[in-house]
Amino acid sequence: MTRAMTPPRNPKTTRRVSRILMYVLLVVLAICMSLPMIYTLSTAFKGTVFVFEYPPQFIPKEPTFANFVNAWQSNNFGHYFLNSMFTASMTTIGTVAIAATGAYAFARLNFPLKNVFFWTYLLFMMIPGMLYIIPQFLIAKKLHLLNSLMGLVVFYVAGSVPFHTFLLRGFFQSIPGEIEEAAQMDGASRWQVFTRIALPLAMPALGTSAIFAFLGSWDEFTLALTFINDENLRTLPIAIRLFQGQHTAQWGLIFAASLIAMVPVVVAYVGFQNLFIKTVNEGGVKT
Amino acid sequence: MTTARAMQVQKRRQGRRGDALFALLLVLPGFLWFSIFNIYPAVYAFWISFHKWAILGESEWVGLQNYLRIFSDPIILIALRNTAVYALATIIGQIAIGFVLAVLVNQKLPFMKFFRLVYYFPVISSWVVVSLIFIFLFNSEGLVNFILVDFLHIMAEPKAWLTDPATALVAICILGIWKGAGWVMVIYHAAMQGISSSVTEAAEVDGASPWQVSWFIVFPMLKPTTLFITIMLTIGAFQSFIQFYIMTGGGPNNQTEVFLSYMFTQAFKYLDFGYGSAIAFSLAVLVVSISLIQQRFFKEGA
Amino acid sequence: MNAPVRTLILGSLLLAGVASAKTTVTFWHTYNTDSTENKILTSKIIPDFEKKNPDIDVVAQQIPYTEFRQKMLTSVAGETGPDLARIDIIWTPEFAQLGALEKVDDMPGFKGLKSQVFPGPLSTNVYDGGYYGVPLDTNTQVLIWNPEMLKAAGISKPPTTMAQFKTTLEKLQKKDGNKITQYGFAVPGPYNWFLLPWIWSNGGEITDPKVTKATGYLNSPKTVAAVQTLVDWYKAGLISPSIAGSGLGSWEGMGAGKYAGSQDGPWAFPSLQAQYPKLSVTHSPFPSGAGGSVSVVGGENIVLFKSSKNKAAAWKFLRYLLSKDAQITMATTGQIPVLKSLVNDPYIKGHPYYGVYLKQLSKAKARPPHPAYTKMEDLIQGQFQEIFSGKKTVQAALDEAAQKVDAVLK
Repeated sequence: MTRAMTPPRNPKTTRRVSRILMYVLLVVLAICMSLPMIYTLSTAFKGTVFVFEYPPQFIPKEPTFANFVNAWQSNNFGHYFLNSMFTASMTTIGTVAIAATGAYAFARLNFPLKNVFFWTYLLFMMIPGMLYIIPQFLIAKKLHLLNSLMGLVVFYVAGSVPFHTFLLRGFFQSIPGEIEEAAQMDGASRWQVFTRIALPLAMPALGTSAIFAFLGSWDEFTLALTFINDENLRTLPIAIRLFQGQHTAQWGLIFAASLIAMVPVVVAYVGFQNLFIKTVNEGGVKT
Repeated sequence: MTTARAMQVQKRRQGRRGDALFALLLVLPGFLWFSIFNIYPAVYAFWISFHKWAILGESEWVGLQNYLRIFSDPIILIALRNTAVYALATIIGQIAIGFVLAVLVNQKLPFMKFFRLVYYFPVISSWVVVSLIFIFLFNSEGLVNFILVDFLHIMAEPKAWLTDPATALVAICILGIWKGAGWVMVIYHAAMQGISSSVTEAAEVDGASPWQVSWFIVFPMLKPTTLFITIMLTIGAFQSFIQFYIMTGGGPNNQTEVFLSYMFTQAFKYLDFGYGSAIAFSLAVLVVSISLIQQRFFKEGA
Repeated sequence: MNAPVRTLILGSLLLAGVASAKTTVTFWHTYNTDSTENKILTSKIIPDFEKKNPDIDVVAQQIPYTEFRQKMLTSVAGETGPDLARIDIIWTPEFAQLGALEKVDDMPGFKGLKSQVFPGPLSTNVYDGGYYGVPLDTNTQVLIWNPEMLKAAGISKPPTTMAQFKTTLEKLQKKDGNKITQYGFAVPGPYNWFLLPWIWSNGGEITDPKVTKATGYLNSPKTVAAVQTLVDWYKAGLISPSIAGSGLGSWEGMGAGKYAGSQDGPWAFPSLQAQYPKLSVTHSPFPSGAGGSVSVVGGENIVLFKSSKNKAAAWKFLRYLLSKDAQITMATTGQIPVLKSLVNDPYIKGHPYYGVYLKQLSKAKARPPHPAYTKMEDLIQGQFQEIFSGKKTVQAALDEAAQKVDAVLK
C-alpha cells in the first residue's frame, strides 16, 4: 500500500480497521503455523487403523489415549525420560557456566590472542560437526567416556560453547560498565565484580542461554546413539527412534511419544518467556 | 612526570597485566575443553580428508585427490544448487515471515503471549518428528493435496510432491521456513522493544500506518539484528541435513541432495570418509566466504 | 550396622562375585521396541540359553535399523563392536571386506551347520573364498491378494503366469470417468528389492554370475523388456502409482480397499492384520514368465566380530540360535527358519502362509553378494526412479546404470 493510494481517513477508524486486520492476520498465521502440530496431535490420538486415511481427518473418529499410555509404559520410557532430563540439565549447567565466564572476558577484558580465540570459535561454528563423530568416538573411548551420560554431557558442552559464548558476549557488552568500575574503585576484586555484579545483572541472559542449551541436548541423536550401548542409559530420541522398525512403524505411537518428549521444553519456554524476551532484546543480537 | 602519575600509570599497567591473567583464567577452561573435544576431532577429520581412509588398518595418503574429485563430481553441482536454493528461499522466507510475526506480536493487544507461543512452537519441536509429519502432509494422499484439490480446487490432480525433485525442494523449503520463522520472530521482537516508542509514535501521528512505520522506520533501524539473523540462518541452512535425509533421502536419483546429505552418503553409506571429509571442509570454506561477504555487504549498505 | 543391611551387602557382594565369573556376550539386533521378535528374544530365547549355560550372560542391544551401519562402523573403528550381530544378508561381504568379521570356517561344528541350512541364504556369507557368518533367518517376497476383491472381479484363484497376471490386472481395474479408483496390483516402490523379482521372472539379469560386470546384463534386451512391461502396466493404470513412489503406499492402499494385490515379505501379513483387522489376505507365488517364477532372497545372517573377546561363548549362543528349538520359537514371530530339517516340522507345515514363502524360496535368487552392493543398488535404483518419473527411456537409463555399476565393480 503506498501513501498516495491511501485516501485521507479518520485516524480512529484507521486504527480500528488496522487492529481488526491485525487480528485476522494473527489468527490466519496462527492456523497456518499450528496446522502441522495439530495434525501430529490428532494422529497421536488415532488408533493404528486410522493413521492413514483420505480425506485426512483432523478430529479422530474414535479418539484414544492408548498411544500415549503405550508409549509411556513401553520398555522403561519413564526411565529414558529421566536420563534425558539428567543429561540436558547437566549440559545446561556446564554450558552456561563455561560460556558465561568466557563471554565476560571477551566482552570486558583485554588479553593476548583475544581475537584469535574469538575467531576460532566463530570458524568452528561453520564446519559441519557430523564427521567428527569417528574422532570423537576414539577420544571418548580413550578417556573412558563411552557408555556414560556424563560422557555425553562432556561432548554436548564442548559443542555448545562457541554459540553461547557468542550470545552472552553480546549481552555483557550491552550492560553499562560504570557499575563495575565503581565497584572496582571501592576495592572489589575482579572475581567479586564478575560474580557479584556482572552475573546477577546477566541472569535473564543466562536464562535464555539455558533454554537454548537445554533444547539442543534434549533433541540430540547422533552422539547419543553412537556413544551409548547400555539399554539403561538410553536417551529419549533413541527410545523414540526404536519404535520404528525395519518394515513397520507405528506412527500414532511415535507421534505420541514425541509429544510427551516435548512437554519439558514447552514448560521451560512458557516459564521463561518473559525473561527470554527481555534478554534477547538486551544482548543476544550484537555481533 | 610526577611520581604520583607514574605510580598511577604503573598501577594501571599492572591492572592490565592482571586483567589479562584473569581473562585467560576465564577463557581458557572453555577453550581447552572445546579444543580437546571439537578442534582436535576437526583436525583429525581434516587429516582424514587427505587419505583414502581405512576404518581398520593403514590409510593411504592421496594428497589433494579427494578435493579434486569434488570438481568432477556432477552430484556436487546438484548439491550446490539445492543448498543455494534452500538457503536463499528459507533465509528470505524466515526473515520476511519472522519480521511480520514480530511486528504483529509487538502490538500492545491482548492474547499476545498466546500467539507468541503458537508461533514459537515449531522452533521447539524436534526436526526428526516434523520432517516425518511433513512427509504425511505432502504425501500424494496427504493434507496439502486435499486442501489444494478437494477444498480450494486450485489443482485438478493430487501431486506426488516428494517424488518430483522440484516440488520436493519446495516442500522442504516450506518446512524450513515454518520451523524457523518463530526463532526470527523472537529475536526481532526483542530488538524492537529496544527501539524507543517515541520514534514510531511520531511517525504514526504523521499519518503513517503501522506497516509503513515497521517497514520504513523500524526495519532499517534493526540492521545489526538482521545481520546477526542472516549469518546464523546461513550457517544453519548450509548445514541442513535431517529434513533432506528424512523427507527425500537425497532422491529421486540424487536430485534433492544437499551438501550434508551427500557427505553423509559418502561417509556412512559408502564408507568413503576421506571424500566425505573433503566435502565437509569445502562446505566450511564456502560458508566462511559467504559470511564474510554478508558482513561486508551490510557494512557498505550502512 | 544392623543385620539385614549386612546380609544385603554381603549378598550383593556374592552376587557381584558370581557375575564377574560369567562371560558376557553382547548381541546387536534391529528389532524395534514394540515387536514380538524383541519380546520373544528377551523373554524366552535368551533366558532359555542362560539357563542351559549358567556361565554365560547374553546382553541384547537394540540398534535402529537405519543407523545400524553408522553405529557399527564407528564401533569397529574404535574396536568396541559387539560379539555378535544380526545383520542384513547384503551387508555381510562388505563388513567382511572391511576386516570387521571373523572367518567362521574353522569354528567348532561349522561344517555340520553348513549342511543343515538352506544353501541360498548360506551363500550370502561367502567372501573371498571363506564364510563370514551363518544365516539366521530367511525370507522372500510373494504376492499378497485380497480374495474378496478377486472374487468380486470373477477371478477364482491368483494368476500363475505373466499372461494370466496381466488379464487379472485388467479385470481388477475400476474407473470412475478417467479416474482410476481401483488398481489390480501395487508394486510398492521403484527399488531393487521390489523390481528384481519381475526382472528375474521375465528372464532379465543384473550382472554376470561372477558379479564382475553389468553391461550386457543390466541393459540386455530381456532386462529392458522386463522393466518396460512394468512401465507399460503403470502407464495403462494396471498397477498403482506406488511403483513411481507416489500415491498410497501398498499396505495403505490394500487397507483402504483400493489395491487388490501387492508383493511383500512374511512380515506383511501380521502387520496388515494388526492395522486392518477386517482385511482378509491370501498369498501366491510370483507369476512365471520367461525366467520362471523367481523371487528375491532376503533375511539376516548372524556374524561374529573379530574384535570379540569371548568368541567361544559367542559361538555357543550363535549355535543355540540355530538350534531347532530357537528357530521354531523365532518362527512364531514371523521369521522363517533356515534349517532344512524344519520344512517338515508340524508348526511350519500347519502355518497359514509359510508354505507359500518356502515354496517361493526354492525358486528365489540372492542379490549379487558383493562388498560394493550398497553402492550398486543406489546406482540402479536411481535409474529406476528416472524411468518411472518418465524422465528417461528404459534403455537409456539402464545403459547408464550398467556403465556406472561396471565402474564400481572394477
